[in-house]
Amino acid sequence: MKESLMDILCDPLDKSELELEVDERDGDEILEGRLIGTVTGEVYPIEDGIPNLLPPDMRD
Amino acid sequence: MGVLENKARARLFYKYLSKVYDRVNPFIWNEEMRDEALEMLDIQQGDRVLDVGCGTGFGTEGLLRYTDDVHGLDQSIHQMQKAWEKFGKNDEVRFYRGDAERLPFADDSFDVIWSSGSIEYWPNPVTALEEFRRVVKPGSKVLVVGPDDPKSGVFQKLADAIMLFYDEEEADRMFEAAGFVDIEHHILQRQPGSPRAIVTIARAPEE
Repeated sequence: MKESLMDILCDPLDKSELELEVDERDGDEILEGRLIGTVTGEVYPIEDGIPNLLPPDMRD
Repeated sequence: MGVLENKARARLFYKYLSKVYDRVNPFIWNEEMRDEALEMLDIQQGDRVLDVGCGTGFGTEGLLRYTDDVHGLDQSIHQMQKAWEKFGKNDEVRFYRGDAERLPFADDSFDVIWSSGSIEYWPNPVTALEEFRRVVKPGSKVLVVGPDDPKSGVFQKLADAIMLFYDEEEADRMFEAAGFVDIEHHILQRQPGSPRAIVTIARAPEE
């Protein structure tokens, strides 16, 4: 995912802001990392560039 | 309560459906119908468009002809893998895994929202439509394609057991409940006798 998407992304649970933690990037593309709910503390993984913003009760 | 109105079961169903989806789906929803629906929206180059339940990317492909800024969300990774084969994972389209009823986007983020072949699997369609209204900009349009109510005895019972079907009256009720205005419907059909698709276009009210 592109870092600029932080402008439109939010925590699906309460729509509060997310914090980005990057493990691996390629230019402005975040390949591995996580988005963390600043209020809920929920962790949403970014895997191979795709953010998984499924609420925890819907994950595999 | 249809058998797919349970998200775990829907995911399992899609895992298998995705293998044949692009071959089966054209009987209900083909390129001509999709293109006709796209024409009903006034998408400008540069508009930021969200495709909810993008699945294998059939609608996404049409949206890309209008604007470069297309975002696809789906709960099923198996469906989206087909879309990634077409568009790349991080190239032409921004992809997200997510839930239509709990969208991970800030208010007023999109110029247009498109959703085809997804509403019939949402456990609470009005909740998802409320999310659409929240994330689309005030005064902007959403377009939702679903299966039209077959209204015939045996098929009706079968239909209701599998997924949600609805008619224009029910669509009006759902979109009004979600706070939309200027709600209009178009019934599209590949040919007489084939299943009908119901296309609903509605506008989020100005502030």
